[in-house]
Amino acid sequence: MTDVRHPDLPGDDGPDMTAAELALGVLEGDERAQAVRRVLSEPGFARAVEQWRGYLSQLFDLWPAITAPDILPRIERSIDRLHDTTGGVVPHPRGSRLWPSLAVLSSIAAAGLLVILLVRPLSLPTVPPSPTAPATPVAAPLPTLVASLEPEGKQAPMTVVYDQRSGTLRLTETTLARADRSAELWVIPSDGTPRSLGLLQDTGGTTLALNPTVRAYLAAGATLAVSIEPVGGSKTGAPTGPVVAKGALSPV
Amino acid sequence: MTDFPPDAAAAPASAPKPGSESPEAIARARLVEALVRTGEEDRVAFRDLYSLTSAKLFGICYRICGERQAAEDVLHDVYLTIWKRAGAYEPSRASPITWLATIARNRAIDWQRAQKVRRSTPIEDAPQILDTAPLASEALLHDEQSHLLQECLELLEQRQRSAIHTAFFDGVTYAELAERQNIPLGTMKSWVRRGLARLRECLER
Repeated sequence: MTDVRHPDLPGDDGPDMTAAELALGVLEGDERAQAVRRVLSEPGFARAVEQWRGYLSQLFDLWPAITAPDILPRIERSIDRLHDTTGGVVPHPRGSRLWPSLAVLSSIAAAGLLVILLVRPLSLPTVPPSPTAPATPVAAPLPTLVASLEPEGKQAPMTVVYDQRSGTLRLTETTLARADRSAELWVIPSDGTPRSLGLLQDTGGTTLALNPTVRAYLAAGATLAVSIEPVGGSKTGAPTGPVVAKGALSPV
Repeated sequence: MTDFPPDAAAAPASAPKPGSESPEAIARARLVEALVRTGEEDRVAFRDLYSLTSAKLFGICYRICGERQAAEDVLHDVYLTIWKRAGAYEPSRASPITWLATIARNRAIDWQRAQKVRRSTPIEDAPQILDTAPLASEALLHDEQSHLLQECLELLEQRQRSAIHTAFFDGVTYAELAERQNIPLGTMKSWVRRGLARLRECLER
């Protein structure tokens, strides 16, 4: 396990243990963002994070169990809704004080989405979202997530809209990669490991239909990043080239 | 172009090896099977998985969230995530409980950090984490990995060990660790970094 030394880190705060710190979860703000970036750009660092995660997981054994409330029926209802793509009216989930009114939140989400679509209508590729779909939020327990990816250079930010119900992710038009390279989109969920979502179109916007495995990683707070890879995408399964844009997913 | 392994759900669940059919091995095999079959969208297996693991995962959510209702809502979210993601579980790569517990911890931390409001003190009514081996009654969930990390933690200075412990179990950042101990942020970082460096030496030995 090699912790690659980072030149920016002052020496008087102790040794550079960034990989372990990221795995432990003590970093926040810029420090965390910088560490996440290193996961993307330094395979050795990414391996070190993974290794620390493995070590730390030994502590799970010490975690005391507490009899859980029987929320299995509620979970199963949510699973049913997950599979219900017809948009029919479904019962309101009970007992959720955290998210008190999904209908209200969904309306806000729908309104926000419409604003985005109105503001940037031209650059969203293919499948223009039906204006009626987000306007009937009764059966939309999964909010639409958006992210603004800030490119390194002077380009305008890219907007990403992710429809959790259909698993479709759309990016506005951008040109990040030269002709002999591909721009690849990654999600970095809270476990810090980048997962590929697919390649961006060379020109125009991009629509990606995500498979169920990667969909699970797309949640509010997850980081999206674009790296420059050989044509056809990274051969290693992890980002190999520089990260040229990134941003965090949040509910609309 | 992706790092997604071939469909893990298609892989056979790791059956207990002959001669190793201890209650722990049998329980673990049952858990692996429940998880793999959940990945095939098997509801019966999912219910079994819930009954086998919900107490452990609720313990994680409760401690990190610090309140029962939030922990319950996060637990709901955790099992929904498990349902969606179980197809990607690979028995050869991680023990089932590590895989599940990681999801629970990450979700609970996401929730906690989204709250913005920090608890300045640890929650009072959460059960204590004991620096001991798991109880025999938890054998079901007991990982077969070595407990090298716990041995190495014993070598650290108490304040280093305690900070790393709190960071892991309470899911808190440097800023909150420093706040709780009422020490400068830089001092806390230094303690933890030195502790982690010492751990690495011990783990790599």
